[in-house]
Amino acid sequence: MGLQPLFLSLVCFIAAAHAGQLAVQSPRLIVTGPDGGQLRSETLPLTKRPDPVTLGPSDTLKLAFQVTEQATDNGVQPHQTFLRFFDPTTGEEGIQPVKTSPSGKAKFELNMAKPPSSLPPSGAAPLHVTLLLGSFVHSPATIDLFDLHVPPSAPPPVHSEEAFYHPRPELSHTFRSEPNPPPRLISAFFALLVLGPWAVLFVLWGAIRPGVPHLFSPSVLSFLLSLGVIEGLLFWYWIELRLGQILLYGAGAATLALLTGKQALAGIAERRTRSH
Amino acid sequence: MLPSLGAIFFSLFGLFAAVPVQARSSTGNSVLVVLQPDLKRDNFTIFFDNLEKRGYDLTLRTPEDDALPIIRDDNPTYSHIILFAPDIKSFSQDVTPQSLVTVLNAGTNLIVALSPTQSPVFTLASEFSLILPPPSTPLISHFPARDSPPSVIPVAVPPKHPLLTPNTPPVWYSGIPFAHGNNPLLVPILHAPAESFASDTDSDAGAEALFDAAERGGEGLWAGSAMGIVTGFQTRDNSARVTWVGGIELFTDAYAHKSLPSGEKSGNEQFARDVAAWTFQENLVLRIDSITHHLLNETVPREHYTINENIVFEAHISRYDSERGWSPYSGLHDLQLEFTMLDPHIRTALLPVTSKLGLYQAAFRIPDRHGVFKFVLDYRRRGWTILKATTTVPVVPPRHDGYPRFLSAAWPYYAGAISTSLGFFVFAALWLAGDDKERKKGKATKTE
Amino acid sequence: MAGPKSSSNASKRAAATAAATPSKPAPSSSSAPAPASASTVALHTLWAAYLDATPSRLKLVDAFLVFLVLSGVIQFVYCVLVTSFPFNAFLAGFASTVGQFVLTASLRSQVNAKNRALFKDVSPERAFADFVVGSVVLHFFVFNFLG
Repeated sequence: MGLQPLFLSLVCFIAAAHAGQLAVQSPRLIVTGPDGGQLRSETLPLTKRPDPVTLGPSDTLKLAFQVTEQATDNGVQPHQTFLRFFDPTTGEEGIQPVKTSPSGKAKFELNMAKPPSSLPPSGAAPLHVTLLLGSFVHSPATIDLFDLHVPPSAPPPVHSEEAFYHPRPELSHTFRSEPNPPPRLISAFFALLVLGPWAVLFVLWGAIRPGVPHLFSPSVLSFLLSLGVIEGLLFWYWIELRLGQILLYGAGAATLALLTGKQALAGIAERRTRSH
Repeated sequence: MLPSLGAIFFSLFGLFAAVPVQARSSTGNSVLVVLQPDLKRDNFTIFFDNLEKRGYDLTLRTPEDDALPIIRDDNPTYSHIILFAPDIKSFSQDVTPQSLVTVLNAGTNLIVALSPTQSPVFTLASEFSLILPPPSTPLISHFPARDSPPSVIPVAVPPKHPLLTPNTPPVWYSGIPFAHGNNPLLVPILHAPAESFASDTDSDAGAEALFDAAERGGEGLWAGSAMGIVTGFQTRDNSARVTWVGGIELFTDAYAHKSLPSGEKSGNEQFARDVAAWTFQENLVLRIDSITHHLLNETVPREHYTINENIVFEAHISRYDSERGWSPYSGLHDLQLEFTMLDPHIRTALLPVTSKLGLYQAAFRIPDRHGVFKFVLDYRRRGWTILKATTTVPVVPPRHDGYPRFLSAAWPYYAGAISTSLGFFVFAALWLAGDDKERKKGKATKTE
Repeated sequence: MAGPKSSSNASKRAAATAAATPSKPAPSSSSAPAPASASTVALHTLWAAYLDATPSRLKLVDAFLVFLVLSGVIQFVYCVLVTSFPFNAFLAGFASTVGQFVLTASLRSQVNAKNRALFKDVSPERAFADFVVGSVVLHFFVFNFLG
């Protein structure tokens, strides 16, 4: 489509004058319950907005009116007779054409048990219902009808990636709780308690009274000392030594203990066989 | 397509680097205008002159003329393409929906005009999640009462839109409306008026046909303000931009000069300029200059991090300005950073640092889970360049000597271990130093 | 623990008296306290026999075993009642007493004259050398694991 035909039609159009303003007459609203009983029936005032209309999940709303030319009150059939349902809180909008007879008589029925696809997804806020009248020969009219409360519908489908286009909820990691150390006093008390058996040991050994006649024999003493060195090294390892160090020093101490131990135990064995 | 993503980015930046200083676009100044034969450059003097004033280098051709192909050896030949040929049914070989998608994926930006005439561009539009009305059903509106045909409609411009000049006056529009598919890559720019609808009837007698069409058609009626008439689209991978315009007349001198019903000047010139500026990557263009990470109180990134450590992620972001070019930008306040291993473990705000322009930081404690984590920066806002950056970092458990030691809770156990060792030593001493008294004692008992 | 302190003869006598005592009132009074007394008597007899028949070198070992059991039990109680954290430290501390107990008990059975037939080829010195080597290795692992 080029531009020339368009401009041509524009020029033609300016010649045609508007034949007057469109209007509605005797708009009537009826709400019936699921059993067919009338819940509400009134003529809409149009000058001011009536009380909001509330529909239950299986109620039916019926709307009847006549489109007229305002100046003459003659019924006319406009090109556009649309009901617009609009939720200003979400911006959701639905447009529903209404069938109008050549004499301008129009009827619309909204059955909530079978809502038309033109009814937009609704939330808690009411839908503004507006009547749009448009014509090629008459001036258009926008008529505010009423606010409509309908049962909330399922929310409109949201694209799976839509969430990426908005700030997303923050996430934080739940750390495993740090074990709460018991009071130091209790730990210290139990540490002392663990050392308690020494008292028992001393008492028992005291009762047995083991003699230590060979404690200062050179072979036994040197073996004991090398054992002490090994145990000391192990303690030191716990405090600060690295594995390589303990293996190196430990090898030395172990060699020493091996030699002295051989000697000490040989001495003891000799003593034992002699006493036989 | 994925492996070439990096290449696309580099070519984008390469293009930018090669652009002369006067160009307003961040991606180049060469523009190909494909104009259908019944339209002349003279119909769009204001629009095209404005582009040339902004440093663009316009090349005009007809749809059938393939002396200036839009693509040569798989490389796009122009930075931007304006496709003003909505009524053309046959293009030359180089202009196909496929080639247009190819140049788009290579970073070329497009402005595509539609009309009520069915054409190859129609099929392309459906690839961009636009649902077009049946052919030959232009948008009409009887509102407001005015001295122009119902298909020539003044449309209010949203006063606050990220890519439009605030408070642009209404624009004259004539063309088709389209419904938006459920696609977040779409950037609606201009919606149809609430009272408007698509119809092929031209007298009030068509009311019944209109009603029947709406009742019968699966798609219903193209009516109301949910319909788009100018809609942008930004590709996911390289943020190349396409703007779909339902009618070419929007850009004409006639509409730019045409007074609104209120008597004031129409906003067409300003609106067309804004749309072209956005489409040609002049504004709302961002890039990530660099990302890095380091331990709190350090400055250099580590090869790996240990669980529970406090870490800082940093990003440097620049924004393109058509006057000044690229410069560090601290104006993003809804950036978020994710720290993910399969799922995001942490999602936190990546906030601008006041001390340094363009620097954004997030500090957090690494979760007590080890494995290969990713820092993910994924910023998508309608109209803005998509920012994406990820970097991988291994998170390891502490070394064997990295745990806290000498805890008070373990005092009894330490005492127990030391006590056993000491006990062993004393016992060994007693055993070695002692005599084998049992024999003597045994004898003594026996003799007693 | 007065038992071990008294001489073996004295305890033998005490045991004898203890054994004699319950037999006297048994016919006159009710039989109610009899089972308790009987078990006490049995324990006393066992105790006396232990004191009498066990060589003092084995008593030395037994005292050490008692020491190890008590150390282990207290650590276990602390672990159950207070905290098992750090668990590796508990394992190291507790295992040191258990391991030492096993090694010591093994030493005891090998040097026990009653088991001579069983360990014909193992001299008491050899047994002690094994005990020392085993203990040193155990302590190495314990301190390694103590954290």
